[in-house]
Amino acid sequence: MKTILVNPLDETPRAAGRPAPRLGSLAGKTIGLLDISKWGGSFFLDHLEKALKERYGVGQIVRLMKPTFTKPAPGAVIDQFVKAECAAVIEALAD
Amino acid sequence: MLQSGDLAPLFSAPRSEGGDWRLERGRPTLLVFFETDCPTCRLTIPYLNRLAQALDGRAEIVGISQDGAASTVELIDQAPVKFPVMLDRDLSVSREYDPQAVPTLFLIDAAGTIARTSVAFDKAGLNEIAAEMLAAIDIEPFELAGGHDGAPEMKPGCVSRHLEPHQGLRTEADPAPSVNLYAERGPRASRVVLEDGVDPYEFCYEAGFGDPLPVIPPTAERVDRMLGATRLPPDQIVARVPPNYGMATVEKVAANAVMAGCEPGMMRVLIPLIRAACDERFNIHGVQATTHFAAPLVIVNGPVRRDLRFACGGNVFSNVTRANSTLGRAFQLILTNVGGARPGELDMSTLGNPGKFSYCIAENEEESPWAPLHTEFGFDRGQSSVSLFAAEPPHGVSEHNAREGRTILKAISRALATVFSYRFCIGWEALVVLCPEHVKTLDRSGFAKDSIREFLFENTGIPVREYEEDGGEGTQFTQLYQRATINGEDCYRKFARPDQIRIVVAGGTAGKFSAVIGSWATGPRGSQMVCYPVD
Repeated sequence: MKTILVNPLDETPRAAGRPAPRLGSLAGKTIGLLDISKWGGSFFLDHLEKALKERYGVGQIVRLMKPTFTKPAPGAVIDQFVKAECAAVIEALAD
Repeated sequence: MLQSGDLAPLFSAPRSEGGDWRLERGRPTLLVFFETDCPTCRLTIPYLNRLAQALDGRAEIVGISQDGAASTVELIDQAPVKFPVMLDRDLSVSREYDPQAVPTLFLIDAAGTIARTSVAFDKAGLNEIAAEMLAAIDIEPFELAGGHDGAPEMKPGCVSRHLEPHQGLRTEADPAPSVNLYAERGPRASRVVLEDGVDPYEFCYEAGFGDPLPVIPPTAERVDRMLGATRLPPDQIVARVPPNYGMATVEKVAANAVMAGCEPGMMRVLIPLIRAACDERFNIHGVQATTHFAAPLVIVNGPVRRDLRFACGGNVFSNVTRANSTLGRAFQLILTNVGGARPGELDMSTLGNPGKFSYCIAENEEESPWAPLHTEFGFDRGQSSVSLFAAEPPHGVSEHNAREGRTILKAISRALATVFSYRFCIGWEALVVLCPEHVKTLDRSGFAKDSIREFLFENTGIPVREYEEDGGEGTQFTQLYQRATINGEDCYRKFARPDQIRIVVAGGTAGKFSAVIGSWATGPRGSQMVCYPVD
């Protein structure tokens, strides 16, 4: 007699997603920087902002912060990036 | 599906090229429901193009695409489609007309009644519809679909999108449909048939069913026995387990319980335990994904301890009973197998925690003169419960010389000062697990739970001089800390409030060893302790 096992793994049906198209260049683009609200994050993002502007000619930087690093970003924060028409968002942390 | 003689519901829908279109009465209209990736729909389009041309604008053919704008426009260009096409983005028109397959054609007469329908590719149906439409506008009918044009007489189509089991997996740039987070039933677990000669234990290991230790193969018979211990149907969703939000159906819980070695009666505890873990306040998403040591510690209270033989005495944190070990293990298996928090994938803990194999204790209520943990969450003493605490591993506190309760508490307060990191204050909770011998001394000295908490709060601090060196964990937040004089020394208080110190009595009656267990980030911005009733 063959052994039949019940699959104990996650089989939740999910919609297939695809990665956003990659940017050819950062020049003149609006870039979002998401601080996950860990100590040290703003220090790191200050440097990143400077590098993006000086080295890559980024047009505008939109800086936002999650209320807590322990949970996913709430919809309101993501909506603000969408509203600002960011071409890309960099989520960064620093301890 | 609507049939001949039914009144055609009026609706408006966006056109593929922009703007809205509205179904109105007054002239014959042919609605054609289609999908962009359906070969039968593509086969039908050229016939409809010919008919549209013959109608000369006096009657209308309108395509209703069940797919998104990008794939619809691509089809219109490719096919090409020479009649106007509307987008049924939310499938609301499809649900109203309820075609079972695509293509389905609804011929609506000038009075707004459905005069005729045709399902799939059907030359006879196409010819009848063409004849009726042309006659209605006084054009000489002709044979639209000839007998020998290379196409079959009939060809079945595809199931209508609104009847697909998961209206997901759309193609191209269509927006991903949202998951139904309110569904109460989920799909049944798939079955895996092992070929003769395959060792089921090795198979489970290779398939990634377990932690790295061997598991009991979840055979259909064993899972059925487990399911027999609950009245809930196998496909009922107990919770969606973060971080992947996998559906923990009763059947998935049972399969993992089998693998962990649970007795069927353990379903009674596992179901509320999974619900508790997925309570937003506990924030299992963060607990599972953090680089910290945290692992959910299960604390069992009430009569279920006796019913299912949970250990609350000697060796309570270790390999002492089937109940503690298998409940804790089943819980961890569900978190990884269904929730997706596998080490090295979504569980990125730096050092991990041995409790991730199993971390379950029961309170030794019989050796405690005080009200047990679950009564602090509002439950009666006689109610069984499971509580969860996002816990570091236990840190032992030995105190064998104390004659007074305060001496024991002083020893514990020194261990409490090191929770999370010595100089990092106020953001963390701690669970103090008091052993029965320490409890006796404390009780004799007049201490009860509240006064213990108060004493520990007042006496746990970090000397301010420790912050004089540059930098270091916790030194950047001193402006948030409370200052107090402890033992004559200027200190920062470790805790913001006494209720950040939780107390449980557990362990054997011999030995003066208690334990302090630090938490992960706490409060609404971290993980809050939760307690759920067990029926």
